[in-house]
Amino acid sequence: MTAEYAIETSGLEKVYRSRFRGREIRAVSNLTLRVPVGTKYGLLGPNGAGKTTFVKMLLSAVNPTLGHAALFGRDARDPEARRPVGYLPENHRFPTYLTGRGMLDFYGGLSGMESSERTKRISELLDLVGLANWADVRLKKFSKGMLQRLGLAQALMHRPRLLVLDEPTDGVDPVGRREIRDILNTLTGSGVTVFINSHLLSEVEAFCEYVAILRKGELALEGKVSSLVAGRGFRVCASNVPEQALLEIRAIGASILPSAEGLEIHTATREQANMAIDTIRSVGGLIDAVAASSTSLEDVFIRTLQNGKAA
Amino acid sequence: MRHASPLWELISDTFQEARARWLFWGLFALSSLLIAIFLFVLKIDLVQGAVTLMGAQSTSKPIGDIREFVNHSYSWVSIALYIWGTFLAIFASAGLTPSVLESGRIGLLLSKPLTRTRLLLGRYLGNVCVVALNHIYLISSVWLILGIKTHIWEPRFLLAIPISIFIFAVLLCVVVLIGVLSESAALSVMVAVALMLVSTILAQRQVVVRLLSSQWSRDLWLAFYWIVPKVFDLGAAMKQIILYDRQAAWLTPIWTSAAFGIGVLFTAVYAFQRRDF
Repeated sequence: MTAEYAIETSGLEKVYRSRFRGREIRAVSNLTLRVPVGTKYGLLGPNGAGKTTFVKMLLSAVNPTLGHAALFGRDARDPEARRPVGYLPENHRFPTYLTGRGMLDFYGGLSGMESSERTKRISELLDLVGLANWADVRLKKFSKGMLQRLGLAQALMHRPRLLVLDEPTDGVDPVGRREIRDILNTLTGSGVTVFINSHLLSEVEAFCEYVAILRKGELALEGKVSSLVAGRGFRVCASNVPEQALLEIRAIGASILPSAEGLEIHTATREQANMAIDTIRSVGGLIDAVAASSTSLEDVFIRTLQNGKAA
Repeated sequence: MRHASPLWELISDTFQEARARWLFWGLFALSSLLIAIFLFVLKIDLVQGAVTLMGAQSTSKPIGDIREFVNHSYSWVSIALYIWGTFLAIFASAGLTPSVLESGRIGLLLSKPLTRTRLLLGRYLGNVCVVALNHIYLISSVWLILGIKTHIWEPRFLLAIPISIFIFAVLLCVVVLIGVLSESAALSVMVAVALMLVSTILAQRQVVVRLLSSQWSRDLWLAFYWIVPKVFDLGAAMKQIILYDRQAAWLTPIWTSAAFGIGVLFTAVYAFQRRDF
């Protein structure tokens, strides 16, 4: 039977308890998420939102307090569920005593690949990530960007059906980022599901089809990137706006960002923009500019987080 | 489809790490130093002089006495190698468990299709193999040197190899448990070495029990004696076996130490299963 979802979680929760004080930190709360097979999915959230804990629960590095996670329909706690998964962790620490070739060979072996298969695959991947000349150099001589590319090769080693990438372009120069994105794009054509946890909103917007935003361990927003960024809105630049007026403007659903000259107020509709302008003028504030704007993923992200703060 | 053995990969990786961190070569170098000291001692004919002396003094049964003297030498040398080898091995192994638990390394290992039990056992077995190779090298080299020099080949001396490896394997269980709980190599060494010393103290139970005034304190002493691995008793048993003592009590120290090691390793696996990384 073929699973419909590469990742499926229901009511997933992680509470960290300090051993002596008995304090609780809820890192992930009641998280239900479905990642369809073959899609490119981005997980976003500010620091401490629970993204990495969520990924670690999927891969059994962290034991969930409550709830259930499945990979291709199989309980994520079952080691066999992880066989079709390739993972590139954030802040990875690959054994520096290994060479590039040795590292790929080791992790390929742990993924259950036969020796002959590994030998062939290593050459292919080192070529793919542009490290063929570094195959027999120890990892301690590799730069951060090279380690990141080698990490990606490691994740691809056993031809996974699901790639879980935690900050995949961290430390990589712009050209390298583009190359990584191109490699990932070729994979998705072959039915591989890519799940990216990243801070780089522009990259997620450029690459992912679906996105989920976590806020304080909870799912704040989920949807197709094309739908989320499709809506046009309005941008009002203003200055000398008192705090009370800002609260009123937030209450009508606008998001407010500080800018060099004063404030930028983003609204989804013309009516909201007019209400915001009326409010500013009624308290003696100054309107500097009004313009129509399209929504970027960054706008969606910030608005989602600000709505959470207002709530 | 048949998959490659991840256990073998983990054992092999532990070997590579031990080599890269100079632990393997450090053990090898220190063992070679000890072997060199032996060669030096024999070169100045200390043993030959003693053998000659024994032969001259006991003219009635010189051959038997010489054999006994050599066996005594063998037994003391085996004890020295047993203590030296175990201490060195514990110091060398202490960092190998915490290193694999480092953030950024363990997460990737756990994402592979293998159980946590297998991951920890692979590391443990790799560590045992590194030390076993060193013990084989050290003890068999000394055996060869003594044999060549005295022309008396005592195969029982080689018992020091499995016994040293066994007691190291038991103490390594403690090192692994402390490593899993605290990720501290220094604490692992402290606990394992303390256990060796405590074992030596507890082994004097026949004397101590007579000196203790209350029954509960005697019971407590004996309870600790039975729980703690018998590092001292095993060394003493090995010495007696080399001396052809048929009364050597080796079975009880073996099974009680093995039970301790299995219990501790089981606890380490349980703690490893429950931890979040």
